Amino acid sequence: MELVLQSIANALVQSGFFSLWAVGLVLIFGVMGIINFAHGEMVMVGAYTVWLLYAGQGLPFPLALLAAALIVCLLGLCMERFLFQPFRENPLGGLINSIGLLFILQVLAVQIGGLGLMKHVPPAFPGTLELPFEVRIPVQRAVALVVSLGLLAAVGWLLTWTRLGWALRAVSMDREAAALQGISVRRIGMFAMGLGAALAGTAGALMAPLVRVEPYMGHAVIITAFIVAIVGGIGSIRGAVLAAVLYAFFHTFVTTYYSGTLATMLGLFIMLLVLVIKPTGLMGSRLRE
Amino acid sequence: MNSASRRHGWWLAAAVLLPALAALPFFLPFHRQDFMIFLLLDVMLVVSYRLVTLSGEWSLIHMVLMGCGGYASALLSKRADLLVWLSIPLAALLTAAVALLLSFPLLRMRGFYFLIGSYAAGEAVRLAWKYFVYPFGGPKGLKLIPPLELQLPFLEQPLSFVEPIPFYLLLLVVTCVSLLLLYRLEHSRIGLTLHMVHWQPSLAEAVGVNSWRYRTLAFACGAFFAGLAGALFVHYLGSINPNQFAIGEMLYILVWVIIGGTRTFAGPVIGVVVLSVLNEIFRQYDEWRPAIYGLILLLSMRFLPDGLESLPGRLRGLWRRRVAAAQG
Amino acid sequence: MNRAGGLRIGGDNYKVEFVSYDNEYLPDKALQGMKKLVGEHDVKFVMMLGGDTWPAVQPFATRRKLLTSTLLPSDLSPDAPYHIAPCEVHPIYNVTGVEWMAQNFPELKRAAICAQNDSLGLPSVATYLAAFEAAGIDVVDQNIFDPSTTDFAPVVTSMLASGPDIVCLDTCYADYVNLITEQLFHQGFKGKIISCTFDNYQDVIEKTSKEFVEGFIFQFPDFDDPALRQDFINFKRPKDFYEKFVERHPGQWSAVAWEYASIMDLWKAAAEQAASVEPLAVLEAMKQGGRAPHAFGDASWWGEELWGIDNALVGNWPVVTVRDGRARIEEFRSIPEWWSCYKDLLVKHMEAMGLMHYQQG
Repeated sequence: MELVLQSIANALVQSGFFSLWAVGLVLIFGVMGIINFAHGEMVMVGAYTVWLLYAGQGLPFPLALLAAALIVCLLGLCMERFLFQPFRENPLGGLINSIGLLFILQVLAVQIGGLGLMKHVPPAFPGTLELPFEVRIPVQRAVALVVSLGLLAAVGWLLTWTRLGWALRAVSMDREAAALQGISVRRIGMFAMGLGAALAGTAGALMAPLVRVEPYMGHAVIITAFIVAIVGGIGSIRGAVLAAVLYAFFHTFVTTYYSGTLATMLGLFIMLLVLVIKPTGLMGSRLRE
Repeated sequence: MNSASRRHGWWLAAAVLLPALAALPFFLPFHRQDFMIFLLLDVMLVVSYRLVTLSGEWSLIHMVLMGCGGYASALLSKRADLLVWLSIPLAALLTAAVALLLSFPLLRMRGFYFLIGSYAAGEAVRLAWKYFVYPFGGPKGLKLIPPLELQLPFLEQPLSFVEPIPFYLLLLVVTCVSLLLLYRLEHSRIGLTLHMVHWQPSLAEAVGVNSWRYRTLAFACGAFFAGLAGALFVHYLGSINPNQFAIGEMLYILVWVIIGGTRTFAGPVIGVVVLSVLNEIFRQYDEWRPAIYGLILLLSMRFLPDGLESLPGRLRGLWRRRVAAAQG
Repeated sequence: MNRAGGLRIGGDNYKVEFVSYDNEYLPDKALQGMKKLVGEHDVKFVMMLGGDTWPAVQPFATRRKLLTSTLLPSDLSPDAPYHIAPCEVHPIYNVTGVEWMAQNFPELKRAAICAQNDSLGLPSVATYLAAFEAAGIDVVDQNIFDPSTTDFAPVVTSMLASGPDIVCLDTCYADYVNLITEQLFHQGFKGKIISCTFDNYQDVIEKTSKEFVEGFIFQFPDFDDPALRQDFINFKRPKDFYEKFVERHPGQWSAVAWEYASIMDLWKAAAEQAASVEPLAVLEAMKQGGRAPHAFGDASWWGEELWGIDNALVGNWPVVTVRDGRARIEEFRSIPEWWSCYKDLLVKHMEAMGLMHYQQG
């Protein structure tokens, strides 16, 4: 019983991270039709920012978190302006450019922090929450979960209730029709990219005290984000969140009861299965070219 | 230039280039011979990859298919005691069969979905090599894989293809034959149909081309040659492990092909040769290499979207315009 | 080493030139690198980490009669007579930690092991299984995880579910030890932790608590340890080395930080004795009499029964614990003594995992 409850607690924390990773990716794809292969590296840049500012310079953690979101947001805007916008006609162009950037960001991380042992980021919120039935969650993880949920709720609100959100959804449904309605596709693209990047940066910042902060940490992120985005139905934010929760539970339980390699392998199989049987995923409505 | 004289040009170039390439290792110090070997293997990889891209799809599983060939040949020769000369072609065929099998789910997808699907399928295969210690050896892979050997009547000891020069010469022959076959394939009806599937999909459909069949054919043929390269590779190194075929290595193939250009047959070859030679020259900046690759990729996407292969044409155009301006 | 006068052969001093090549842990890069080191720099001795890259290099190195060293003796084989493990004989020294723990904490009887699934983790699992069996400790859970694992909460939850009073971190990479220990702290583990390494223990103390980490057992001392000032230690001026290293690479002191220096000491002594830097002469001098000066005291060349060749240097190995927030050596224990009593157990577990030299491939 304790094992099941503790695993549920572990899985909940995972769901928060998986959602943040995937929602950023899906937002960028949904609006601009571009697969950002460097998405994992954006998470990495967020984590490195926290390492430099919070662990290195002693800035308070919430400030470092904000700085990470801003810096990665800025990075995202630059990517949109210089790497994606000039290749609007050629969707693979953007993808290939993001691969180029991925290499550059990894090397920069090596140059700044070196290789070797992981970067040490002490927890900003030490201690453990002791819940009934001997379930324990580190405070740092609980905080990360709450912040993730808050951010996801905010994004949901933005998309459903604001004009900006409507415009964004309009562009992701039909770019030309949206342009005819007088929506600036270019500005909406910038906005989506900035928001998606900021989410990735925040995720990295929140994770920094909890995981291995190292130049290649983006690899695990991108695999998971792809699985979640595909299973959820690429382009669908709600689908991504639902898939993130499902996948987090699936992965945590298979890892606890069997093995982590098996969990990732089965995850990939499920993704392939979804691609074959229902390429639109759980919540997606149509295919994109 | 008409096509007959162009063909003559190719034959002439081959007649000069081939003996030069065959003689090259004899003039190289031994520690540079391996560079040539891995370069030839990479050439096989990128040219076979181009066949897959002909129909307009970008796959991320090519490196893993190379690994399939390697694992298949290693297992056949090591565990089933098959003669290495047989296990290599058999492994290439097996790789094509694996690709055929994978094509049922994968080739139902297009564009982005195919890209991600092929990536997922590749990772799943690679994780399977790690997970199943029997027969794949788990994360540390397989070692003590028998080498290629040839018993010649006038030699006391069998000729061992672990030695760089014999292996290089063998590889050169295999590479040339493969390139020739791939070239013929592209210029056959099949290749032309693939071009049509890419550039004029609705026309292809209208005239009743079953595009799925042609894409499958290209995918399996590409896999065959990737598997062949993998099989040769593994018998030269004598060992194989799953990490050699990780996504990072696949991204390098992508970079080579894109920088070289995919419009012509020679493009990917130019890409891999130029970048590998640059790589050797700037060996001391090794830690910066991925970033340099990344930067070259970004710049060439921006300023040379058709790859290095388009460079001579562009320069010629520039020159003509200057001459015209001077005359005008 | 060069500052101390370099190599002394026949009354002349020679400077030793160090050349490096990053093989990215890829076999083809390792082969190219090895050939380049030989072809361009005519190197006399190559120190490598070993592991997955070695099989590709082995035929070339052996044919050339190159002297090479590894930190992973699982690379050793009768087919490679010039390949030696002169410093760290991983993972067999881990038995000393288990033996010491069993003697000092006899009430602990249930152990859970976790390890990453690779060529460092698996032989170590076999060794710990043998050591636990020898000490009469039950292994109640084995958790082999993928090296790409990022979140260790599920791994720790699953281990703790079996109710262990010992958690063995095997030869997990330093970062995993860090994260798993943190999870053990948060999930309320109260028992003993034993591990091969504990590299960044100051960071872990900062993440958990000094009390939690107190008594953590592992195998790699800090080199300013007073116990290393004893006479039988062959590593020269360990304290100076440690301080210089920490000054130059702050926060990067690790289990292997001293090992290449220690191997160079051994090589230098042998080269001076042989009055030559030629690989075969140096190797012969090194192996003379079957004994050689190891960093932790004189040791003997051994390994025939495990790897088919006596090319691993084993003797004493330190058992280290965290005491008052610092790594301190508890005791040096003899590996050969353990081996002579329990070798059947180790061979049994290695065989069960397919790790004996005659099963390799």
